[in-house]
Amino acid sequence: MAASGAALDKPRSGRRRPPRDGVVGGRRGTFWAMLLPVVGFLAIFLVLPLVMMAALSTRLDLRGPLLEPWAPTLEHYISLAETPIYLRLLLTSAGIAALVAALTTILAYPLAYFLGLRAGRRAAVLLILLLVPFWTSYLLRVMAWKLMLGEEGVINSVLLTTGAIGEPLSALLYNRFAVSVTLVYVWIPFAALPIIAALQRVDPAVLDAAADLYASPAQQFRRVTLPLSLPGVIAAFFLVFIPTVGEYVTPLMVGGTSGTMYGNIIQDFFTKAANWPFGSMLSVIMLVATLAVAILALRAVDIRRFVEP
Amino acid sequence: MSGSGSRPGRRRVALLATVAFVAAACGGIGATPAPADLTGELTVLDWAGYDDPLYWQDFKDTYPNVVPSFEFGGSDGDIYGKMKAGDQADVFHPYTGWIQFYVDEGIAQEIDTSKLTNWDKVPEDFKAVGQFDGKQYCVPFDWGFSSILYNTEKVTTPVDSWAALMDPQYAEHISMWDDGPSAVTVSSYIHDYDETNITDEQLADIKQEWTDQAKLNKAYWVGEPDLVSMFQNGDAWLAYAWQGAYATLLGEGVPVAYADPKEGRNSWVGVYCIRKDTPNLDLAMKFIDAKLGQKTGENLVANFYYGHANQDVMNGITDETLREAFSVDDPTILEKTNFTPNLTAEQRDAWTAMWNEVKASQ
Repeated sequence: MAASGAALDKPRSGRRRPPRDGVVGGRRGTFWAMLLPVVGFLAIFLVLPLVMMAALSTRLDLRGPLLEPWAPTLEHYISLAETPIYLRLLLTSAGIAALVAALTTILAYPLAYFLGLRAGRRAAVLLILLLVPFWTSYLLRVMAWKLMLGEEGVINSVLLTTGAIGEPLSALLYNRFAVSVTLVYVWIPFAALPIIAALQRVDPAVLDAAADLYASPAQQFRRVTLPLSLPGVIAAFFLVFIPTVGEYVTPLMVGGTSGTMYGNIIQDFFTKAANWPFGSMLSVIMLVATLAVAILALRAVDIRRFVEP
Repeated sequence: MSGSGSRPGRRRVALLATVAFVAAACGGIGATPAPADLTGELTVLDWAGYDDPLYWQDFKDTYPNVVPSFEFGGSDGDIYGKMKAGDQADVFHPYTGWIQFYVDEGIAQEIDTSKLTNWDKVPEDFKAVGQFDGKQYCVPFDWGFSSILYNTEKVTTPVDSWAALMDPQYAEHISMWDDGPSAVTVSSYIHDYDETNITDEQLADIKQEWTDQAKLNKAYWVGEPDLVSMFQNGDAWLAYAWQGAYATLLGEGVPVAYADPKEGRNSWVGVYCIRKDTPNLDLAMKFIDAKLGQKTGENLVANFYYGHANQDVMNGITDETLREAFSVDDPTILEKTNFTPNLTAEQRDAWTAMWNEVKASQ
């Protein structure tokens, strides 16, 4: 730990924050004035919908006028405790999301390492190329995986022609495997971005110092580069994990009967069952659970150790 | 298409409006404009595909200067949710099972059928679908069957029962429609339950039946194109289907048959209703009247293989296969068909919840 401890100490002395007194006084008014649009935006487009969702989850059903007060009930929450199916599916979905997030982060790291530290002047161009697939529709990219994995798809065709298999594999599409593969593919470029940012903040002088102290390239990476890029890695993991828990489009298209995720059930309660209150209840549960996981994980890892200079 | 077409159209509207204004100012023309001069806005909440002018051909021909704008719903629950939440569409298109709610919740308005020129061509059984408490709230438009569609090369014994959806020999190649009430309907046919009066025990059995079925089910289809592509690429051999998919696949040269199960086919009717507080009532009435028109009906029959509410259209079908498919020559067919009954709010919530539990337990 001595080497990495020293590595962490060095930039710390270089970037000291200005004294806090600078912000107080006349500039405080400006500060709040500039904060107001952001707070207002979040209040209207984030907090208010969440409050409405939570309120709706205490409604018995969709009958009667929507905007008039109703007698709140916790019936949906109680019924959730009675039918453990949904909670089990939430756990499964969280498991899939954790797996996808971990795989994505691992696969995105070398990509980010190259773009952030090795690509030099070409980095900007390569980064744009990396994001080119996002100029096409998300649905198209998921459909492409249907073509890849289907019984008469690309992978099966190649295996059949080369004689590697005699019968087409039907286990490729319409299951959780297909969902995971597609999600990893979709998320890799996104997951690379925070890692690139973290790697670019690594002071080259620190690596020079490690080399001066006879650290091998592998040791430099393990004890200097990797620890310093961990905030980016953690950010990448949660960037993928949180939206994937509630994912519903990908399982809808490639998941088949067995690939249903928690998000699909929420969507069904809204769009097929016209049972918004129950769907809202499921959403509230997912929101609370995801937030709890994120907070606990961040506590455990103590991200401030890495972020605070 | 619509983007490029609208500009000259709009210019023509402006020109016509000017002409009409000048003429009116000169005191030459009476108060009622000719249909071709009629302008205005109309919003239709419909299912994807029905926005094609083929399916509002008579309206387009009669009122060329009114271009309806379309919004889409992906399922009956979706359309109901949108209307319930205050969607401002003037006209909307629900199907049997989901119509009662619009009347109960005061979303649909009563329709003055004396203003519909094509009304006398609609059989009484169809009219009844949109009638509540003796009042006509919705106007029937399209109807068809639900039955089992199967690939005749893969499924070599002809299918004669709804129970084929649970037949293990087609495991991993079956596709059920992603819809709880329909699952209840299928089980009711198989076990001879009273569909309008399913007990809690029966619902529990139905849930078990579909939970077991899920092991054999490749994927639930959501939209008809999903189903068609699953048949095209060989993922599905046997499915719950509407005859639109049957028609499409026949056209694509896929060897398919459409079963006539011994329990009977299911049959559904689509209706158009008018939103209660619409400011465009006159245009909305003209739109649904034109929906019953001859050309619109012929296009519907020719392209979707769906039946049309206008009996003249059905009697005019010359294609023998279609005549037989719709039993045009059997005057009692509508009495013999199993129409999907209207759901109550309790049934809707219980049956859709049952279905979601089936899906969540996989």
